[in-house]
Amino acid sequence: MNINPNIKLFGSLLILVLCTSLSPLIAQSDPTGEKRVTGTYAITNATITTAPGKSMAGATILIKDGLIHAVGTNLSLPAETQLIKADSLFIYPGFIDGASNSGITKPNDPQKGENFNPSDPSDELAGITPWRQVMDHFDPKSNQIADWRKTGFTIAQLIPDGGMLTGKSAIVVFGNSKSSNVLAQNTGLYAKFRGSRGTYPATTLGVMAKFRDLYKNAELSAQHARIFASAAGLTRPEINKTYEAFYPVLDKNIPILFEVADDLEIRRALSLQKELGFRMVLVGVTDVDRVIDEIKGSDTKILLSLNLPDDKAFKDKKDNESEDIKSRLDRVKAAHQNALKQAGILEKAGVKFGFITLGAKSGDMMKNIRLMVANGLSEDAALAALTINNAEILNIQKFTGTLEKGKLANLIISTKPIFAEEAEVKYVMADGYLFDYDLKAKNKGNGIEGVWEYTSETPAGSSGGTIEIKKGDAGYTGTITYDDPAGTGKASTGMNSITYSDNTLSFNFEVPVEGNLLKVNVTGEIKGGSFEGNLSIAEYGSFPMKANKKPNL
Amino acid sequence: MKKFTSIIAALLVLGSMPSMAQTQKGSILIKNATVITITNGTLEDTDVLVENGIIKKVGKNLSASNVQTIDATGKFLMPGIIDAHSHVGLDAVNEATSPITSEVKMEDVVNPYDVGIYRALAGGVTISHAMHGSANAIGGQNITLKHRFGTSNPQDLFMQDAARTIKFALGENPTRVHGRGNNNQPRTRMGVEAVIRNGFNEAIQYKKTWEDYNAALKKKGATPIPPKFDTRLQTLVDILDGKIIIHCHSYRADEIYMLINVCREFNITNIVFSHVNEGFKVAPELAEYTMGASIFADWWAYKFEVYYSTAYNAAILTKNGVVTSINSDSGELIRHLYHEAGKAQRYGELTDDQTLALITINPAKQLGIADKVGSIEEGKQGDLVIFNEHPLSVYAIPQMTFVDGVKYFDINTDANDMRIKVSATDAVEPIFLKEHDERCMHGVDFFFTNFGRNLFEHSH
Amino acid sequence: MMKFRAILYTVALALSPILAQAQFDGEFIKPRNGRFLLQNATIVTVTKGTIQNGSVLIANGRIEAVGTNVAAGDAEVIDCSGQFIYPGMFDGGSQLGLVEVGSLAETQDYAEIGQVTPNMQALVAVNPNSIAIPVTRVSGVTTILATPSGGMFPGTAALINLNGYTPDQMYAGFKGVILNFPSSARRSTWDRRSDEDVKKDAEKAQKNLNDIWERATTYHQLVSAKAALPYYPEMEQLAKVVSGELPLLVEVNAASDIELAIKWLENKEIKAILTGVAEGWRVADKIAAANLPVITGPMLAIPTRQSDRFDASYTNPGKMAKAGVKVVIRSNDSENTRNLPFNAGFAAAYGMGKEEALKAVTINSAEVFGVADRLGSIEVGKDATLFVSTGDPFETRSQIRHVFIDGFRVPMSNRHIRFYQEFLERSPGLEKN
Repeated sequence: MNINPNIKLFGSLLILVLCTSLSPLIAQSDPTGEKRVTGTYAITNATITTAPGKSMAGATILIKDGLIHAVGTNLSLPAETQLIKADSLFIYPGFIDGASNSGITKPNDPQKGENFNPSDPSDELAGITPWRQVMDHFDPKSNQIADWRKTGFTIAQLIPDGGMLTGKSAIVVFGNSKSSNVLAQNTGLYAKFRGSRGTYPATTLGVMAKFRDLYKNAELSAQHARIFASAAGLTRPEINKTYEAFYPVLDKNIPILFEVADDLEIRRALSLQKELGFRMVLVGVTDVDRVIDEIKGSDTKILLSLNLPDDKAFKDKKDNESEDIKSRLDRVKAAHQNALKQAGILEKAGVKFGFITLGAKSGDMMKNIRLMVANGLSEDAALAALTINNAEILNIQKFTGTLEKGKLANLIISTKPIFAEEAEVKYVMADGYLFDYDLKAKNKGNGIEGVWEYTSETPAGSSGGTIEIKKGDAGYTGTITYDDPAGTGKASTGMNSITYSDNTLSFNFEVPVEGNLLKVNVTGEIKGGSFEGNLSIAEYGSFPMKANKKPNL
Repeated sequence: MKKFTSIIAALLVLGSMPSMAQTQKGSILIKNATVITITNGTLEDTDVLVENGIIKKVGKNLSASNVQTIDATGKFLMPGIIDAHSHVGLDAVNEATSPITSEVKMEDVVNPYDVGIYRALAGGVTISHAMHGSANAIGGQNITLKHRFGTSNPQDLFMQDAARTIKFALGENPTRVHGRGNNNQPRTRMGVEAVIRNGFNEAIQYKKTWEDYNAALKKKGATPIPPKFDTRLQTLVDILDGKIIIHCHSYRADEIYMLINVCREFNITNIVFSHVNEGFKVAPELAEYTMGASIFADWWAYKFEVYYSTAYNAAILTKNGVVTSINSDSGELIRHLYHEAGKAQRYGELTDDQTLALITINPAKQLGIADKVGSIEEGKQGDLVIFNEHPLSVYAIPQMTFVDGVKYFDINTDANDMRIKVSATDAVEPIFLKEHDERCMHGVDFFFTNFGRNLFEHSH
Repeated sequence: MMKFRAILYTVALALSPILAQAQFDGEFIKPRNGRFLLQNATIVTVTKGTIQNGSVLIANGRIEAVGTNVAAGDAEVIDCSGQFIYPGMFDGGSQLGLVEVGSLAETQDYAEIGQVTPNMQALVAVNPNSIAIPVTRVSGVTTILATPSGGMFPGTAALINLNGYTPDQMYAGFKGVILNFPSSARRSTWDRRSDEDVKKDAEKAQKNLNDIWERATTYHQLVSAKAALPYYPEMEQLAKVVSGELPLLVEVNAASDIELAIKWLENKEIKAILTGVAEGWRVADKIAAANLPVITGPMLAIPTRQSDRFDASYTNPGKMAKAGVKVVIRSNDSENTRNLPFNAGFAAAYGMGKEEALKAVTINSAEVFGVADRLGSIEVGKDATLFVSTGDPFETRSQIRHVFIDGFRVPMSNRHIRFYQEFLERSPGLEKN
């Protein structure tokens, strides 16, 4: 069986990495003048919250070699210490993100080929890529990393993109861009109830069945390998990288990170766990009030999204609506209110949980936490969900999660108590590197030109492709690729009527189906490098569509 | 010794305990109703007592302490209606990507929030057979649901003591999806037969492979290598072993006859044909070799293979001795199956008892639950519905519906809006102008065939 | 058990000696007209009460006499003891005859390409020999509005009787141009547009409608002023609506859309009928105040919203009728237009009452379509379009015994019945011998 690099191993590896990379022995000149002068900092006279519920006023924190050297008052500071006056400022442990797709690109879909048989696709075509390593699809220079770091995140578990089994996650620190910043790889196997459009398994039905069969056959495959190693005269085991990728799950060295969209998916994941017995972390949990007993009765870790539903549906509604409509709106309002209460419900039930940025917007994060706090979540629990709880769920609490001597120098320096409305993050230190937010970073141009990757959710599962937009003299031109309705591979066509104004992008394209041209209209909102909107087809309805811009190279 | 037996007893008790919490069981005394028992005639001014979910007593002047009493004077009481073909309460219907998908289970995708379940209750339906769609020659394993609406837990809806069933499908749908849609077998009715036959034969091999392995394990010093595990084939093995009832989507007489022959060859007797629009043409064969036909009252002409249909199907089948039921296959029809059954009186003049059997004891037989539900008999489960008039009148309105003696529908006290879960973001609700029925081909047409045609047309 | 079968066989046997030399067996029974006296029936006239033990005399395609004392003369007497005579039922909207097999594009003749195609005439595409027509008429549904569908102005609907070999023989005297009023509704659970987008799209469609309407008005004004305009068949047809020559059938369903449609119609001096009106109950008072007749159905449909009471579609016609709206019922079906009476039955059970529901498939329909002088009730001088039933025709257990359309006695047979005759006792049965 494969070696499972477990997290403890990586922890010790990490110390090694830190010692070598930061050692002055390999110091060099830097003609750009950008290199920092010292790695030793003292942030003085601040209110330091070392862990949820534990604060001290007028304290100093000393950072050395990327680690917290001391926290307290009356510290003796070494000569090379750079002082950062933090009078009236507040210091917190750096946030840890339980699941993030920042900087992650979706691997290209493989081509289906001429004689593609949708009932018997390769694992890769079926969205089954458990062997994939997320670090192979990670761009550490992504703006998304910078955006989240600015809100206080210093560590994230990165989630690979893909189908029902996307691959192995990894944990990175948001430190110096010259380091690989990897804290651990192979931290979990990421799974979701996502079918592969037009290919087995295409729906939740198929995904559940496929998951069971994969798991059981991985067990049998391991059994075969063991027997083969112990006796002679036996058929050799067929090496199958999908099964092998399951081995650390079977051995309970790593959990399955199961992405769930609602309480019904939570139940589905729980029932798979019950049947098969793997370790599990539920990612993106919602509707906990409906499954709280089942969650408590399982040994499953919980990750909650920092995304909350918006209140547009009822915010601007007038009072003079009919009773009929009012009672309907009241139910939407109640559902919305309930969505805000979820974190509080978990806390009350005594379930430890962590927050994730997956699916959330960095601009809304603090507002959303305040909404959760206003709806029953304590500030201590909110901080725990951003720090120590996630450290425990990711099994990295030994070297991060609180501000203690010997832990990673990951911290946030805020102008006010962190969850206060007026609070601003002034500095973030990640891996001992200081990020100063005095200067407001300028938004980079948000042009739509470039290559976008999109996905769309439709009744038969998700589909996707790329959109390429160019700007010419006569306005925008573009091409789009899509899953050919004839069932084989991708087709591509030109985009028509591309317009972009007020952050709204719209265009249409035509898909030939059974001799007819079916017009598909797309419209949606652009925010930074992401697009969220709808794809609508004449009388059939409209389907959510999301796209992300690939970095312009 | 004594100690040993008590341990065994304890183990037995534990073993028989369902792994989930018990669903609610109710007690109720319904007085002075016209009781349509289905299996034992119609009894005037009769009382029915349900205790802890089970019909305890049917008779006159019954009394019970601490049990809620309902006066049903002038009203009609019949067993809960059973729908042998439904897709209500499911998040997905078709895993349409392979001609055989016997490994998929509808119990994995039950959605207890579907307000369609409540609407079925409001039509007196207490049990529905939540089926896989008809895209594949051999579809998924179905789940029989008891309409215990109001729960968040899908398992609360499962009828735990129901027989295992599986969906098969013949004719246009599987040949369109796989043959014409994906250029895979089957493209013809010949291919459908071959696919099913191949499946059974492979299952026989699979069974043998595992039997050989298990036998080898018992030999001392042997180190057999485990074969690959395959739920798909194992499920087919279970069919061959008589553990699963086939419910087969079918229309034309020739394809029905084909599957009868295949089943006879493989010694399969647990088979019910569903839709069966041309079942009337092979009624003697259906009567002789199968568990019957589950049909539409009058649907026809929505596709070519149902063009040569007749609304007299129920009458012809019944009079030929075929166990016949009328199903909905629709989130709309399931709300008035009593009316759909009534059409068998317009078209063929069946008696009241014959007609009501179409939606009670007959579907119960086809689902393997006739010993538990489908008639008002002492010892059966307390699934009941009270009508204001005779249920075969077009003016009949269900008043209350009970499952396991618990009332889940009351026309006088229920709220208008019975949704359990509501979107937190959408104030503009979808408006359904053509019936949003939960259809056999749900989710398939869009991508394989009718892309560019009318999504809302019938496609059963 | 099978009276009508016995009758058919008797007729066939009586004729068989004549056919002995023919190369094929059996006799085909054709619709035939003549003089008929329907005797000893309970006559439900709809407009003039119910007559016990009455008779109806049919001659020259019309109802010649109705009463308790009608002499047969040379008329063929049909004993209707214990049976009931009703006027033929109207379906206020169906695709019967415009499609033969639902899923086969080759047989779908109800939806033309284009958004503005009011010049598409349903009457042209009705197939008089559709297998579904005899299947329908033996239920007592004798007259239907054949309706195209599709774009914003999908075409012109035509009222037809379900007997005749050419569309003109079937034509029953009413045409109307259909408008699919722009919808602000979410189309299904898979319609995931944002609330704002839904609204925006509806506003856009509304503006589009107004632009087209303005063109039609201009066309009408210029033509009225004797202008020689270039050929423009779409506007020519719409101009007939502007002038009041043809009514506008406004298909509209969501409550907010119904209100918009009422407002849109307010200042237009045209004849308008609302159709669909699935959420009419929400705004019934407003429809009544606008004095607009309504063609609604099917009742056997799921409620328009998940949040609606389970019986919303059953109670809709009754609620509108109570508010004072003139209601006509439709099946909006094609091959199963025969279910119209059952739709009416559900409407009756859920608040409309039997009498009002019967009107909604007979005299109300005739009035709304402007043919009440000829159809919609059992009255002397009206067309002999009626049927004889063993009971309430809304009840599934009732048998329809005779159907007359335009004075023609139509055969009580069709392919469904012939299959029953052939297969009830199949020969050979299970064994060949």
